[in-house]
Amino acid sequence: MKTTKFLMAMVAAVLMGFSSQAMASGGGAALEHAEVDMTDQEQIRRGLTVFTDVCMGCHSAKYITYRGLMAYPEIGLTREEVDELRGERSLMDGMISDLSIEDAVVSYGKAPPDLSLIVPGRRGGADYVYSLLIGYEHDHEGKVPDGNWNKVFPGNRIAMPDPLSWLDHEADEEAELRQQAHDVSAFLAFIGDPHQNTRRAIGCWVMGFLLLLTLVLWRLKVEVWKDVKKH
Amino acid sequence: MLDKIMKTQLFAWIDKRTGAEAIIKSQLTEYPAPKNLNYMWNFGSLALLVLVLQILTGIFLVMYYKPSAEATFGGFTVAFDSVERIMRDVNFGWLIRYMHAVGASMFFVVVYMHIGRGMYYGSFKAPRELLWIIGVVILLIMQGAAFFGYLLPWGQMSFWGATVITNLFGAIPVLGEYIGQVLVGGFAVGDPTLNRFFSLHYLFPLLLAAIVGGHVHALHVVHSNNPDGIDLHKPEEMIPFHPYYTIKDAFGVAFFLLFYCYIVFFNPQMGGYFIEVDNYVPANNLQTPAHIAPVWYLTPWYTILRSFESKLLGVAAMGASLGILFVLPFLCRSAVRSARFRPVYQIMVIMFFIDVIVLGYCGHSAPTATLKVVGQIATAYYFLFFLALPILPKFEKTKPVPEGI
Repeated sequence: MKTTKFLMAMVAAVLMGFSSQAMASGGGAALEHAEVDMTDQEQIRRGLTVFTDVCMGCHSAKYITYRGLMAYPEIGLTREEVDELRGERSLMDGMISDLSIEDAVVSYGKAPPDLSLIVPGRRGGADYVYSLLIGYEHDHEGKVPDGNWNKVFPGNRIAMPDPLSWLDHEADEEAELRQQAHDVSAFLAFIGDPHQNTRRAIGCWVMGFLLLLTLVLWRLKVEVWKDVKKH
Repeated sequence: MLDKIMKTQLFAWIDKRTGAEAIIKSQLTEYPAPKNLNYMWNFGSLALLVLVLQILTGIFLVMYYKPSAEATFGGFTVAFDSVERIMRDVNFGWLIRYMHAVGASMFFVVVYMHIGRGMYYGSFKAPRELLWIIGVVILLIMQGAAFFGYLLPWGQMSFWGATVITNLFGAIPVLGEYIGQVLVGGFAVGDPTLNRFFSLHYLFPLLLAAIVGGHVHALHVVHSNNPDGIDLHKPEEMIPFHPYYTIKDAFGVAFFLLFYCYIVFFNPQMGGYFIEVDNYVPANNLQTPAHIAPVWYLTPWYTILRSFESKLLGVAAMGASLGILFVLPFLCRSAVRSARFRPVYQIMVIMFFIDVIVLGYCGHSAPTATLKVVGQIATAYYFLFFLALPILPKFEKTKPVPEGI
């Protein structure tokens, strides 16, 4: 009797814990699903363009080198395309913004985070990045200036001013803006773990091999054990 | 195949100088094992496998890892950069690093299963008390090694986890603050801490390897327990370890690798349980993460710590919760080993397993008032379980134990 009561209290408490946790994550609105395809070279390249044209105004991705843009087959730029992108920079340089961190702090009050690991480094991953980019709204209380109020950012007040000009966009622009947000989320998801496609491809072979091995060893075990009498 | 090798001249030459034949016979081909061991007895060999994997992958990681908290461009550090270099630029560095990170969690999965098996079937009881105690030492060293290792990538959770845990020492009267400072190498977690932890993270697995040798030796003196928990005397109840349990363990290894490799290749972060999201953010001593929690395998003890208002009491309870494992063989007085024949103990021990999972859940989640109460109830049951064991035989009616198997 005592134990059942205890168990019931336990289960009830855990369930309540779940619901209160969901509420505690507030400040951030529900995330929208980012359509990203890590094998779609076109999308990742479009995302790269959004990244270099928009994000790199302030943000860097220091772990991605210009050489990497050629070397990763998922991006696969030609030498000419990379030369155009990098200008004076070395092939081995990371993608560093022209805006210095000190200047960014002066202008925006905060150092723009490096984006190399932004997808694995945020709860919600690519969905979070996508939802953040299209999460700009007018502050309903009128306290936060336009372009600094974001419905998914924790605490709602964000230093990054509306990069895709989502706020007050025309209705016919919406599809295009959403596509840009999808694409750049795909690019950022890719650079967060650039060997992920290789990893999954090798993983299929490994799993296939292990399934066979497990099967063989299982039969072998049964064969070796067939003389052992059960009690 | 083994007997063919043992008939060669080369083997005879080696045997004359090492006594290899006697060792192989006594430890493998003529080492008697109960014939009724179930698959719960596979986790010991799996733990050994993961230990070897961790040491091997660790050796390769150290070839590229740099333990330095010196700042680099963009708010990163030399240590964080070197981990990312392993993930991106070192050939198959991602594989080695994911194997190591996932391996840490899988090590605890198999070891917790191994410990749970020992508790359920009474493997800790006489004459295996010392075998169990050596095992508890292994658990503590493992937890230490995992804690030190988690600092090395120098991410947010590395830094703040180490800060929270090393600050605990301050609660110990008189010497606490001094111990904390010696461990950290200063007044706050920083570059000296990283170097210290790196050194200890290399030392502890070597200790583990040695103590695991002692654990296996102790096992081979007292021999395996069995699911019925009875002493076996008749030769027909035993089978030689090789080939019966070598092939069964090999099958277990392949089955385990299926899970391990699935996680390594398809879901290495395991939804933030094996590699926490916050650890992809470089350590920043000016910005505390919204919610600091240790990795899942340490969370049960973290909940016990947080269940007390007084920091000193919390630290004492956490220490006691691990320390009490040492005396489990002496707290448990029942003449019957296996929970199969102990109806009350069976319920108590299953509830204990659930209790530890509840403690783990509470420690992993952001603290709320409800979770705190749940954690406190779970903490109470954790200790109650152990403290009830000495009086349990007074009212527990055990079922008749079989004569043999």
